[in-house]
Amino acid sequence: MPLNEILSIIMLLSICVAMMAGFPVAFTLGGMAVIFSFIGWSLGAFDMIFFHAIPSRFFGIMSNEVLVAVPLFVFMGVMLERSRIAEDLLTTMGQCFGRVRGGLAISVTLVGMLLAASTGIVGATVVTMGLLSLPTMMRAGYDPKLACGTICASGTLGQIIPPSIALVILGDALVGAYNQAQLAKGNYLIEPFSVIDLFAGAMLPGLMLVGLFILWLVVIAFFKPKVAPAYYEEGVKASDLIVRIAKALLPPSFLVVAVLGSILGGLATPTEAAAFGGVGAILLAAVKRQLNFSVMQGVVRSTTRISAMVFAILIGASLFSLTFRGLGGDKMVHEFLANLPGGFTGAMVVVMLIMFLLGFVLDFIEIVFIVVPLVAPALFLADISPVWLGVMMAMNLQTSFLTPPFGWALFYIRGVAPDEIRTADIYRGVIPFVAIQLISLGVLWTNPWLAEWLPRMLL
Amino acid sequence: MISEGTSAAIVRGIDRLNERVGRVISWLSLFLVLTTFSVAVLRYGFELGWIWLQEIYVWMHGTIIMVAAAYTLLHDGHVRVDIFYRSASVRVKAWVDLIGTVVLLIPMLCVIARVSWPYVALSWSRLEESPEAGGMYGLYLFKSTILVFCALMALQAIACVGRNAFILMDRSAPDIAPDRSQGAV
Repeated sequence: MPLNEILSIIMLLSICVAMMAGFPVAFTLGGMAVIFSFIGWSLGAFDMIFFHAIPSRFFGIMSNEVLVAVPLFVFMGVMLERSRIAEDLLTTMGQCFGRVRGGLAISVTLVGMLLAASTGIVGATVVTMGLLSLPTMMRAGYDPKLACGTICASGTLGQIIPPSIALVILGDALVGAYNQAQLAKGNYLIEPFSVIDLFAGAMLPGLMLVGLFILWLVVIAFFKPKVAPAYYEEGVKASDLIVRIAKALLPPSFLVVAVLGSILGGLATPTEAAAFGGVGAILLAAVKRQLNFSVMQGVVRSTTRISAMVFAILIGASLFSLTFRGLGGDKMVHEFLANLPGGFTGAMVVVMLIMFLLGFVLDFIEIVFIVVPLVAPALFLADISPVWLGVMMAMNLQTSFLTPPFGWALFYIRGVAPDEIRTADIYRGVIPFVAIQLISLGVLWTNPWLAEWLPRMLL
Repeated sequence: MISEGTSAAIVRGIDRLNERVGRVISWLSLFLVLTTFSVAVLRYGFELGWIWLQEIYVWMHGTIIMVAAAYTLLHDGHVRVDIFYRSASVRVKAWVDLIGTVVLLIPMLCVIARVSWPYVALSWSRLEESPEAGGMYGLYLFKSTILVFCALMALQAIACVGRNAFILMDRSAPDIAPDRSQGAV
């Protein structure tokens, strides 16, 4: 094995070790890249000329119009959360559907879907929903296993249901890899592909997941009424309820539908729609009389920190990918994937498996920034649609975040669940949902039209 | 060797600087929302659009992410894999942060600054404008935020080294930023 390949492998291992120690991911990637480039350079395996691309790479990140959608969506989400709009939504939906067996769980799933746009980052949704609905579900007499499983599964819907921040990032990464691969194949008539296509593509598979979750909840509530009982909140009159539902449910639903609709309808770019979402969230907060200086100050500070965090990872990851390429690591990955038995299917299985395992330790953003530029060009050598690949990756990661014992969602729910709920209960509760995820992943794998149909219709 | 009091003062001073910078720059994210919104309204409502107008919000965003990185570091807002870190003792955490900052973060910043300096200097020497026709003036200022990133991050890295050294020497660490405990999310 040549020296440069050995160095690339040692670099990957060192990054794993340093990240596991707990040093911030962004600087671990960037720092290790610097260390290994110097080692490679001193051994004659790395040309420092690669580093001259750094400033223009950074400039490319800073002036990327599509990625402006990230802070805008973060702003919208934090605003909806801080002004307690999300909270109201959850409690009112619970009061409304709680009267039906399994209704509380179904409303958690629906809210998870609605809030997807705003909370696609880290475990915010799981924490919020865990704090708000777990106590209610427990009071209603829900089986803790089912309650925790529902909350975790709904919380991860935010990764795949558009307009999620995760899809913006994944879409942007895939566009680059796709164009690169087409040019490498000598195909200059590139079919246009953008973040909007990925949003459209994720729509049906995302709704399919929501549908299957709800179907499962209906079935279990029907056959085992004890685990998901009906729930009446005292002192709530039916006539009051309609008004409250209208007040709590309509505005945020309208906001999400308007944002998503304007993107999918081709009226606005994701960035513009995200800005509409941000202004809409400010207005909703104002109407609710929740808008004041301290709320706004909190929102802008959170937005700024989360955005800076996301883009620091992008900066670190771009240093990493430059060095990795300089060491010839990407060629090694490419050859490895191309020479796997089973051709494209073999490569796809390996990539999906690696991403699934990475999902145990890393968040969506890091995985996308690190893995996609490495593996996607090799996968695109086969004639596959970038939309399908993107949705497969998103659903795969989402499944990983749910899978015991390391899924992120489980850690977050553990953090907010009372001590009476055992960790084993959480694990067991989430298993049916993991099974649904895996089935959906299989269905999507064998039926790419699920992802490809809507983008084509909207063209 | 700098005395203990001086180094504590340096750590506090850097913290205060990045806290102020972060607080000011964070309001830019509200203006980012409003500007992007206005640009979209002008475009769809009135069919008015200028390249420089679109560049304004893109540049705002670029400025926020570069300048606020150090503020985010101050607030421990950069994602960690915390499977082991979360349950580690205060001393172990201090070691991880100290070694990581010295071995990984600072060299990374040095390299970025080293290769970006000529890039930014070239832009200044031409007083570079946006390459787009009808684009913004002052591209050299926007490009300079890469160096601002390096400078503020390097300062915060020094403060981080100082604070963790205090922890490891069993001295009470200089008080951290007022609302640091709230974290990023």
